[in-house]
Amino acid sequence: MSAASSARVTRRSQRGSLLALNETNPLVPYLFLLPHAVFFLVFIVYPVAFGFYVSVHQWDLLSGNSPFVGLKYYAQIFDPSSPQSQFFWRTLLNTAFFTVVSVPLLVGTALGLALLVYRPIFGQNIFRAIFFMPGILSVSVMGILWRWMFDNQSGLINVIREQFFGQAVIQFLTTEGWAWVPIIVGTVWWTIGFNMTLYLAALGGISQSYYEAAQLDGAGPWAQFRFITFPLLSPTTLFIAVTTVLASFQLFGQSLVITGGGPTRSTQSVIQYITEEAFGNNQQSSAAAMAFLFGALMLIFTGFQFRLMAKDLRSSGKDG
Amino acid sequence: MKVNLSTSVKLALAFGVIGIAAVGLAQSTSTYKGPKVEITYLHGFTGADRPVMEQLVKSFNDQNPNIVVKATAQPWGTTWNQIEPLVASGRAPDVAVINEDQVTRFIARGALTEITPSALRAAGIDKNRFFKPLFATADYKGKSYGVPVSSVAYVMFYNKDLLKKNGITAAPKTRAELLTAARACTTDKAGKKAGEAGFDGKNLETWGISLYNNWVGSRLAYSAILQNGGSLTDKDNNAAFNSPAAVDAVQFLVDLVQKENVARGNSTEEAELAAFSQGKVCMFPSGQWYLDRFEKNPSYALTFLPRIGTKQDATWGGSSHLTLPKQPAGYDRNKRSAALAFINWMTLPAQNLTWTSTGSLPVMKAVADDKKFDGQVISGIFDKLGSVYATSGFPWGGQVLGPFDAAWERAYLGKQEVKASLDQGVDEANKQIAQVRSQFK
Repeated sequence: MSAASSARVTRRSQRGSLLALNETNPLVPYLFLLPHAVFFLVFIVYPVAFGFYVSVHQWDLLSGNSPFVGLKYYAQIFDPSSPQSQFFWRTLLNTAFFTVVSVPLLVGTALGLALLVYRPIFGQNIFRAIFFMPGILSVSVMGILWRWMFDNQSGLINVIREQFFGQAVIQFLTTEGWAWVPIIVGTVWWTIGFNMTLYLAALGGISQSYYEAAQLDGAGPWAQFRFITFPLLSPTTLFIAVTTVLASFQLFGQSLVITGGGPTRSTQSVIQYITEEAFGNNQQSSAAAMAFLFGALMLIFTGFQFRLMAKDLRSSGKDG
Repeated sequence: MKVNLSTSVKLALAFGVIGIAAVGLAQSTSTYKGPKVEITYLHGFTGADRPVMEQLVKSFNDQNPNIVVKATAQPWGTTWNQIEPLVASGRAPDVAVINEDQVTRFIARGALTEITPSALRAAGIDKNRFFKPLFATADYKGKSYGVPVSSVAYVMFYNKDLLKKNGITAAPKTRAELLTAARACTTDKAGKKAGEAGFDGKNLETWGISLYNNWVGSRLAYSAILQNGGSLTDKDNNAAFNSPAAVDAVQFLVDLVQKENVARGNSTEEAELAAFSQGKVCMFPSGQWYLDRFEKNPSYALTFLPRIGTKQDATWGGSSHLTLPKQPAGYDRNKRSAALAFINWMTLPAQNLTWTSTGSLPVMKAVADDKKFDGQVISGIFDKLGSVYATSGFPWGGQVLGPFDAAWERAYLGKQEVKASLDQGVDEANKQIAQVRSQFK
């Protein structure tokens, strides 16, 4: 091989031609990214950008005339005299209330269940399967089930109250406040299995030697949980908390099926209201603006949670 | 779930009728004489009514060799979301079924084509064969845009035995009779009647009439408003359900709970349906689609809604209409005439009679008079099918019906005085109408 040709080979291995059919082609990494990028652009970036376009125009598919209106629909959400402002903030508060009540239950109960079925008990796998099983139901099945359970007239809960405890019927589905009970209980029952499974996986990652050492030092079960299990589960707890908060903010099907958002909008979720505005009131632009505002609020919240998570991971790294 | 599910026996019977009809009509009566065309047909009959509709389409295709109807069934909600994009992209079906609460919206958005008097004539569609308000449901500004194919109505079911036990022998027909019957039926857990000393209206053993909080419950308020000569909207299609006539009608219903204690406050449709089925309530106003549950039990019967108002007989009705979505320029004229021939055939008495096997009411008198209905429970309301009114005629269905249903719920649950609640509803509705008015024709 001549000196010239060997120099050429070296050059080519550093930076190949755009037409080269080997790994020296500088396009190779991008080609690997391409399949994902295509889907990402078509199904995420384009719809989001188009949604924003819709939110700053008075969108009208049929007339072909959709004038630019700037931030009109965003301003409307902050104008207290508009119905949109009244309903958006009200339903956002409803959704926040649901999140604040349901997330501790979803995290705490999942942890409790995971601790129970992690122990080598009889029928361990059967219990794990039973707790996980509701999660495979569709939201309509789950919703109708809990609507029946809490029915005002002949729901199981009211029948038990009346027949066995002689207490007055509670009109769960039509009383503000009480209407949240079937939604929250149903949601916990429905989604608890997933969080429990995450906790089970994390529990499996804690070395037994910590517990053995603690036992030698005379630590009881509570102390072991308090000083070993709980701290070592904290990255998982944060992850579960973040994903559960985000999922709870997206409340839609449960309240739609169980209470229809009532009584008097008191359990209507913000997403249900946005859907009503878009398809019931034929106001796609206004609905798109609300969706973006809601998305931005979620983004701020998620950013905050991720910072918290990163800080926690750093500090747990330091401890380790 | 407007048209309730029928039993398999009914379906089998329906197919039998279709078979006989097919033999009887072996010679096509179609007005379409052009070359062979294919038309698309979109409908939302996805329940037990689906096989009946599919069988009807098959019969039409068999009898009309030069028209091929390709039918698609999909949930109504999906269709409402898709009609406008389909029209805008020039890919709308040739014929689409649209319900009463959506049809004016699509007309005023310019998504549907007018069916002109000459088109109706050419296709042999005589609008006089249908119940008048039912056909007019798909009218807008004096023009017609659809032909009714299916219909449901608000009726009053009642428990004959329970009424009789309380000394009432005939179904109430007026406001006063309704009140008398409802009072007679109401007893608290201690056996005391409404109005007696110590009567506990919160703990009822049996009660007079079912009222409930959802949109179906709200249709009773709508019917009462119409009976009183009121309406949901005024001549400019602004919300007007706080007129004195409307307030009086709704107040009467709310008083049944708050003053008379003959109806339960705070109740849901399911709860009242369960209580009525358990023999605890004398009268249960709701959609005729619940007929399946009660028609075989001799204790139960149904009647047209009593005259709660003072002006006219009226009740709410839901309906489905065959419409022609707007097509792009250069649309095949043969397709249009084939579509109209199909609409005519589908709404002829023979086909409508078959369709009633799904639980739909007749859409025309000729079918209501059929001997099939002799002695049937449902035929008790047939003489008043001309007094069934849809919530249509104003383009902004969501903007009016959403606040109206919410106002009913607030008033019924006792969250607000009737007048204040209706005023608030009208205010909400009109603010939202003002925002969208320019988007509708």
